[in-house]
Amino acid sequence: MKLSRRTAVAALAGTASLALVLTGCSTDGGDGGNSGDKITLTITTFGTMGIDVNYEKYMEENPNIVIEATNLEDGGSARDDAYAKIAAGTGLSDIVAIEEGWLSTIAEVSDAFVDLRDYGIEDNKSDWLDWKYAQGTDAQGRVFGAGLDIGPQGLCFRGDLFEAAGLPGDREGFAEAIGGENATWESFFEFGQEYTAKSGKPFYHNPSFFWNSFVNQQAEGYYKKDGKTLNIKDNAALKGQMDLIVANANIGAGLPGWGVAEQAKNDEFAVYVCPSWMLGVVSGYYDAGTTDSGWDFADVLPGGAANWGGAFLGVAESSEHKEEAAKLALWLAAPEQQAAAFEAAGPFPSTLKGQDLVKDSVSAFFNNAPVGEIFTNRAKGVVAQVKGPEDSNIQDNVFGAVFDRVSQGELTTGDAAWAAAMELLDQLVGE
Amino acid sequence: MSAVTAGRRTRSQLSFRQKLSNFDYKFSPYLYVAPFFVLFALLGAFPIIYTVNVSLYDWNLLKGQGDFVGLENYATTLQDPFFWNAFGNTISIFLLSAVPQLVMATIIAAVLDQAIRASTFWRMSVLLPYIAAPVAVAVIFTQIFNQFGGPITGLTEFFGLDPIRWGYDSFPAHIAIATMVNWRWTGYNALILLAAMQAIPRDMYESAALDGAGRIRRFWSITIPMIRPTMIFVIITATIGGLQIFTEPKLFDSSSNGGSNRQFQTIVLYLYEMAFPRRDFGRAAATAWILFLIIVLVGLINYAISRTIASQDITRVRTPKRAALTANGVRR
Repeated sequence: MKLSRRTAVAALAGTASLALVLTGCSTDGGDGGNSGDKITLTITTFGTMGIDVNYEKYMEENPNIVIEATNLEDGGSARDDAYAKIAAGTGLSDIVAIEEGWLSTIAEVSDAFVDLRDYGIEDNKSDWLDWKYAQGTDAQGRVFGAGLDIGPQGLCFRGDLFEAAGLPGDREGFAEAIGGENATWESFFEFGQEYTAKSGKPFYHNPSFFWNSFVNQQAEGYYKKDGKTLNIKDNAALKGQMDLIVANANIGAGLPGWGVAEQAKNDEFAVYVCPSWMLGVVSGYYDAGTTDSGWDFADVLPGGAANWGGAFLGVAESSEHKEEAAKLALWLAAPEQQAAAFEAAGPFPSTLKGQDLVKDSVSAFFNNAPVGEIFTNRAKGVVAQVKGPEDSNIQDNVFGAVFDRVSQGELTTGDAAWAAAMELLDQLVGE
Repeated sequence: MSAVTAGRRTRSQLSFRQKLSNFDYKFSPYLYVAPFFVLFALLGAFPIIYTVNVSLYDWNLLKGQGDFVGLENYATTLQDPFFWNAFGNTISIFLLSAVPQLVMATIIAAVLDQAIRASTFWRMSVLLPYIAAPVAVAVIFTQIFNQFGGPITGLTEFFGLDPIRWGYDSFPAHIAIATMVNWRWTGYNALILLAAMQAIPRDMYESAALDGAGRIRRFWSITIPMIRPTMIFVIITATIGGLQIFTEPKLFDSSSNGGSNRQFQTIVLYLYEMAFPRRDFGRAAATAWILFLIIVLVGLINYAISRTIASQDITRVRTPKRAALTANGVRR
């Protein structure tokens, strides 16, 4: 039979789709148990968590373990990925990084993850800050997440640009200029107005960060302390911050929240709210080893110290190597490895010993700022807020969307922005 | 009589080999096509039917099946302004992609149908964009259309024009996304149409040329009517693909599901947002079925339109333009 073009194409297509099916299967079956005695452990992380610096060391110390790591671009992707795989009942990595914003959603289905008490997490319970350990515990007392980092916040700023504009550009000077320990968001924006007036350049890149930071400063955020009742409508504090941010939209650069490397290098903004894990984001905009970017890090936060974000490691119940995976997860969440991750990317340890290990750490990228000492200060007395099941949804799709419109100049008054947010809230979350 | 009985006897006295060959003749074709249908039943039909089931329940992605709610998921979806926003975006992107794409594909196919040098090279070239992975195409185009410092923004700045907010305003975003779709699918459709054009008997063109019909004339009066069945096929597949568009708008702003304010959220992205970030599997399933019905409806409309357009062409050939045709001939 003559092979016609069409059959040839069909045959090719058939082979190709078969190949797809096959490769699809092989990723699942990657336990590697039959190639020698090696065990392959998969781990999914997101953003710049820094824990990857520890993998090599673990594999050296445990020659029978191979770590296969996947790092997703941001927390939102990691969230959707984890949700889909929990729903499917299969496909989760052995170890999954969970972000604080959607931790409480995971807590509702925490049986998808092992109880780390079965693997000895209680022996080291006192390592962690009490509230961090409690966050990873569900209503039944199962510990499904081992705390990694916490998010005490300071301000990243461009000292060189401030100085060029005739404003104080050193750490202490800048902190004092916006009010020092008594800094408020009002005094912070006043400083920003002055900077823009003197330099002709925008002060910040996207307003949503000031919002998220502020929400995390409240005793109760989007939810009341019970984690179930919404706390947004008739919330005068939130409305006040909305008014303040919208009134200062003129000193914003109208940029997206993330991925602004080019604009950072072009001096298009001069300040960044920096929870510990954000240090890696900002320095990630530059080539590795950069020390002359002009960025510095100040021991100050308008409105007082607060926690924003932080991650946990869970071990999937579906894992074929729970024992080994839990061992690795607990090792990664141990003080020494938390400290190593901090040195690499900035996420501040959630263990007291880990914090102690990094207390003298300085960051070459941030003009040799004593980041360890600053975060230790910024973390004093800070307790993370109670989050509800829709917290990350509200942050991204209600207020994130509204601040995008604010930054593009579509919403020009606090009232209009608030009304738009309430409308979205009704649509997305309901009552 | 004896012949008949003899015949019967032979049939019943078939050897095992003969029976086997008989069986092979009758049933093997079904066996050959079976893998597709078994796979389809498992991976196609079962999920489709299961989706109906899911759509009738209050179904949380993580917590699973809840109460039976009947058609409530359909009702809520149809009352959701975000659904209609997604519907509008989908239609807009569909029109911006399907129409120019098919026009361009037909023109390219007509050009390739001519006797040109290195025809295989040109034919392969138009297919090249199709080979590239859609994700790669989307990533590259997202950079090109980057509102903040992409090359197109650079061009508009260079000419002193106001920058276009590709990632923020609906219509520019739709154009950007439609461009990705067109880039990928125009060549593919052109090749399918080219195959149809190659099947048109050449003597029809020759006779028309002898009658004095010019190139354009022959294209409208012979090529278009003759490729009508293929054209309908291409339009239907473009409709199905166009209404299900997902990858391009998802990657155009990967941190959101079709823009921070849903400027380019298509129906499939709406479905995705419903299923994953919002975890309402029941409504996501209902949306899937609504989308299915929309595709069937639009497909039928397109089928009707494409039938009439092409057949009008045939009638137009015969009657009013005869004068023009002869005039053309005389001029030559």
